[in-house]
Amino acid sequence: MSTVESRPLVGAGVNRVDGPRKVTGTAPYPMDFSVPGQAYGALVQSTVSAGRIIRMDTEEAERSPGVISVLTHENAPQVGTGPTTVLGEAPPAPLRNDRVMHHGQHIAFVVAETPEQAAAAARLVHAEYEAAEPLLDLQDPRAQHLVDPWKMDHSRGDVSAALEAADVIVRGTYFTADNTNNPLGLFATLAAWEEDTLTVHDTSQWPSMVRTTLAMVFGIPESSVRVLVPYVGGGFGAGLRAWPHVILTAMAARTTKRPVKLVLTRPQMFTSVGHRPSGVQWLSVGASRDGGLVALDHRSLSSLSMEDNDYEPFSHGTAFAYQCPNVITRDQQAKLNIAVPTSMRAPAEAQGSFALESALDELAYTLRMDPLELRIRNHTEVDPRNGLPWSGKALLECYEVGARRFGWADRSPEPRSMRDGNWLVGYGMASAMFPYFATPCMAEATVNRDGSAFVRSAATDIGTGTYTVMAQLSAEELGLPLDKVRFDLGDSDMPDSMMAGGSGLTGALGNAVHDACRRLVGLFADLARGDADSPLLGASPEDVEVSGGRVHLAGRPDRGESYADILARHGLAQLTATGSSRPPDPAEIGMSPAGAYGAKFVEVRVDADLGIVRVARVVSAIDGGRILNEKTARSQIIGGTVGGIGMALFEDTVTDPRTGRIANGTFGDYLVAVNADIPELDVIFVGEPDRGTPTGTKGVGEVGLVGIAPAIANAVYHATGKRIRDLPITIDNLL
Amino acid sequence: MRTFEYVRATDTQEVVRMLAEDPSASCLAGGTTQLDLMKDGVLEPPTLIDITRLPLHGIERRGESLHVGALATMEELAADSTVAERLPVVREALLLGASVQLRNMATIGGNLLQRTRCRYFRDPAVLECNKRAPGTGCAAVQGAARMHAVLGVNENCIALHASDLAVALVALDAVVHIQGLSGRRTVPLTEFYVTADESPERENVLEHAELITEVEIPLPPPSARSGYLKVRDRVSYEFALTSAAVVLVVEDGTIRQARVGLGGVGSKPWRAYEAEHVLTGAPATSATFQDASEATMRDAWTVPGTAFKVPLARRTLVRELQTVSGVTA
Repeated sequence: MSTVESRPLVGAGVNRVDGPRKVTGTAPYPMDFSVPGQAYGALVQSTVSAGRIIRMDTEEAERSPGVISVLTHENAPQVGTGPTTVLGEAPPAPLRNDRVMHHGQHIAFVVAETPEQAAAAARLVHAEYEAAEPLLDLQDPRAQHLVDPWKMDHSRGDVSAALEAADVIVRGTYFTADNTNNPLGLFATLAAWEEDTLTVHDTSQWPSMVRTTLAMVFGIPESSVRVLVPYVGGGFGAGLRAWPHVILTAMAARTTKRPVKLVLTRPQMFTSVGHRPSGVQWLSVGASRDGGLVALDHRSLSSLSMEDNDYEPFSHGTAFAYQCPNVITRDQQAKLNIAVPTSMRAPAEAQGSFALESALDELAYTLRMDPLELRIRNHTEVDPRNGLPWSGKALLECYEVGARRFGWADRSPEPRSMRDGNWLVGYGMASAMFPYFATPCMAEATVNRDGSAFVRSAATDIGTGTYTVMAQLSAEELGLPLDKVRFDLGDSDMPDSMMAGGSGLTGALGNAVHDACRRLVGLFADLARGDADSPLLGASPEDVEVSGGRVHLAGRPDRGESYADILARHGLAQLTATGSSRPPDPAEIGMSPAGAYGAKFVEVRVDADLGIVRVARVVSAIDGGRILNEKTARSQIIGGTVGGIGMALFEDTVTDPRTGRIANGTFGDYLVAVNADIPELDVIFVGEPDRGTPTGTKGVGEVGLVGIAPAIANAVYHATGKRIRDLPITIDNLL
Repeated sequence: MRTFEYVRATDTQEVVRMLAEDPSASCLAGGTTQLDLMKDGVLEPPTLIDITRLPLHGIERRGESLHVGALATMEELAADSTVAERLPVVREALLLGASVQLRNMATIGGNLLQRTRCRYFRDPAVLECNKRAPGTGCAAVQGAARMHAVLGVNENCIALHASDLAVALVALDAVVHIQGLSGRRTVPLTEFYVTADESPERENVLEHAELITEVEIPLPPPSARSGYLKVRDRVSYEFALTSAAVVLVVEDGTIRQARVGLGGVGSKPWRAYEAEHVLTGAPATSATFQDASEATMRDAWTVPGTAFKVPLARRTLVRELQTVSGVTA
C-alpha cells in the first residue's frame, strides 16, 4: 500500500465539497432546522451576578399570548450532570436552585408558539433578588484560587539560582483581555422527543459528547439520543461543551411534549457559550550575554467562573518552547462571578506565548541582538521535558523561509527608526506553536457494489474543511477519484469522533479514516487472494495496492480487478470496515508528538501623533506536517491570523466593574477585525510529514493565531519604542 | 407579544397632527436606530408612523446653500455633486459613518436625531440611566466607559452623540427646518441640541409634535477647503473615538475663516468656537494649529476610561488642520 513518503507535503487545493451548498444557502445550519409542531424557547437571564432569587413572578409571562410554559428553578425537573471530559467537568445543570453565579445566568425558560411570543413573554418574567457583592476583579484577594488545576505545572533545574547568576534578566507583567469566541452563526438547539428517545439539532463541535451529556442528564441510554450537526456557522471553541441552554431546550421539549427550538441572541452569545478568560502573567527570563536562555519563570492567573472548569494552562508551552535548563511554570485560576469561560481558538497558548514572545523580544533588544537570531540560538530539536526528539519540527525552516519572504534582513534594528510620513513603521516577529493534542477517534468506510465509497464519522466541520479533506484522504486511501467518494459527518449515530478542537481532529480523524480504509482494502484483498477466479489469487497482503477503483498488485495496475467486480462475484452489496486511531505513545514511537510550528513576521504602521495602529503585512511560515489541502489549510492560517489581529488590537469583552454585566455584548460594540483591517496575508507551508502518525498531519486550526499578538506588540515596540504588555493594544496606550 | 400600530403617512401636516394627538407615537424613517431600540426594548412606542413616503426626499441647491430633504439618505447626500465639489467635509463625514448598507437606509433627519450608543442606555436591564429613566442615576459614569463623551457632560450622564455628519454640519452653520402644528420654524444646528449636563433625557429642542423637514447647509466660500478626520480603533464600522471637521479659508498664509467641529467628545456635536478664535486671522502654521487645539477641551469632564480623549481630540484637530491647510510645518 502507498506510503506517506510518496505523497506530496502539500495536497491539492481542492475546492470545498460543501462549497456550492454553502454559497447557495442550501447547507442547513442548526438554526435552519424545523420539525412539525415545534414551539420556540426564549431565555430569561439574571440581571445580578451574585446572590439568590427570592421571588420569581411568572404570572404575567404565563398569561402572555401564545405562551405554553415557563420553566424556573421552582418547577423545573431536577436532572443529572454531564460527563467530565478532557476539558473538565460538565457545565452546571440549569435551574437547579435559587443561586445566581453570574450576570446573564439562565434563570427561566419560556416556551411559546412563536419566537416573538417567547421573546416578549421572557421580558415579562420578573425576578427579585437578594443580591450579594460579586467577585469580578481577577486580582481580587478574596477570590478563591485553583492551584495547578490541570496538573501541568512544570519545574526543572534551579530557576532562582539561575536567575541570580544570569547576565541579563527581563521581567514583565502581561495582561490579556477577556475575548468572546463570537462565531457568526448564532447557537441554536432544536430538541424533539418521541417517547423516550431524543433527537437534537445543536450547534456543537462535538456531537458524541452532547449525546453522552443528554443521556446522562435525562437518565436515558446513549442509544436513545441522536445529535445532528451537519453544518456549524463557526465555533472557535464555543461548541466544545454541552451548554445549559441545550439542556434547557431538551428539558422544555420533554415537559411540554412539544419539539422546542431555541436560537440565542447575539448578546446572549456573550454569556452562554464561553469566552477566552482574562489573565495576568508574570514572566522572568534570564539569559547569558550571548543570548542563551538560562532561566524561565512563568506564572499566570486567569479568570474562572464559580462552578466550572476551563482548560487554560497559560504557561504550559513555556516548558518546552525553547532550550533552557531551568524552567518553572505555574498556573492558577481565580473563581469569579463571571460567565463560564471556555477554550477559544488557541486556548492558553495564545495568551502564554504573548508573554513569552514579548519577553524574548525585550531580551533581544536588551542584548542588542536580532530577535530572530535569539530564537534560533535557543531552538530545541528535542522535547526538553523528556529528552525525546520531536516527531517533526521544522521551526528553523519556518524562520528561514518566513524571514526571506518578509524581508526581515531589511529591518533597521533601532526602535523608531523607520518612518513613512506620519506613520512610524515597525517590524516584529514571534515564534508560534500549538502543542500536539488528540483523543481516540473512529471512522467507518464502505465500498458499494458500484465501486463508490461512503466514509463517515461523528465529527463536525466547523468551517475548517473536514468534509473536503477527509473525502480527499479517503479517495486517496481507497484509490478512487474524489467524485466517487462521499464523506459524511455531524451525526452522533456515526462512529465516535473526537471534538473539532485543539487542532486535533484532522490528525485523529485522518488516522482513523486511514485505518478504516486500509482495513477495507484488506477485506477486498482477502476476498481476492483466496479466489481462484481473481488475478490476485495467492498475492500476499503487502503486495496489494489500490488505484483507479481497482485492487491490484503493487506497481501492476493490470494485475487486479475492480471493487465492483469483487463484490459482484461474491454476491455482496458492499463491504464495510471500521477504523480507529489513538494518540501515539511517546515511549512506543521513541519521539515526542509534535504540534504545528510557525514563524510570524509582521509590519505595523503606528500614527506618530494619533496612536492609530494598522497591520500592513503578515507573513506566516507554517510547519503543519503534511497538508491535506493547500486551500483549506491556507484558509485556516488566514482565519487564525485574523483572530490574532483581533486579539492584538481589538477584542476586549468588557465586564461592568460593579455589576458584572457584559458592557459591550453586541457586534457594534465588541470589535472584531473587519475586512479593511486585514492586509494581504502571506502563508507558506514548510517542513515534512510528521513522523508520529501514519497520515503525517499536524493540524493547523490554531497555530495561525498563535504568535500574531506578540509579533504585533513587538512590531509596535520597534515602531514606537513603547513596550505594550496589555492586550488589546489600543490608541489609549499609545498616546 | 409587544404589539404596536403601524401607520403609513403621506402628508407632513398629518404626521404632525398625529403626533400631537398621541404623545407616545414615534416616527419611522430609515429605522436604523429606531428599530434597534425597539428590538432592545428601550423604546416601546404603541404607534409607529412611517414617514418614508412624505415628500421630503430631494437635495436641491439654491444659490449658495444646499437644501437637503430630511428623508434624503446618507448615500444620496454623499453622492450629491454639490457636496462633492463644495462640501468635502460633509462627504467624508458621511462615508466614514456606518456601512454602505446602513447609509442606504439611514436618513439625514434620522441621523441628526440618532440616539446615543451608550450600552447602559441601550440595555433596559440596566436600571440606572438618567437618559432612559430620569432620576435613576448613571451606570456608565461608574462603569466601563470609553466610547463616551467628555464635553457637555457631568456625573448625571456621559452619553455621546455619535453622529459624524452632525459634527460637519455644526461646523458649517447648518440650519434645521422644522414643521409643527402652528407652522414652520428654523433652528441653527448649533442651537438645536441640548447637552447632557443640562438635561440627560432631552437631547434637542424638537418638540414631540414637530418634524424635521429639511436641513439647509450654507456653502462655504469657493476658496474654502474642508475635511473630516475620524479616529477609531478599527478602519471601518466603528463610531469615532475622536473626530474633527475643519473648514478653512487661507489667503497668503493667513487664516481668513475657520470653522471647527469636534466629534466623539460631546454629548452633542461640538462646535469649537474657541479654536476658531485662535485660528481666525492667525498665520496658517502648525504652531497656530497647536494653540487652537490647546484652546479646546478645557472644560472636559472625564472618567478614567475617557481621559485619553482630551489629548487625542487635540491631536486629531491639529492633524486635520494640517491636512486641510496643507501646512505641516
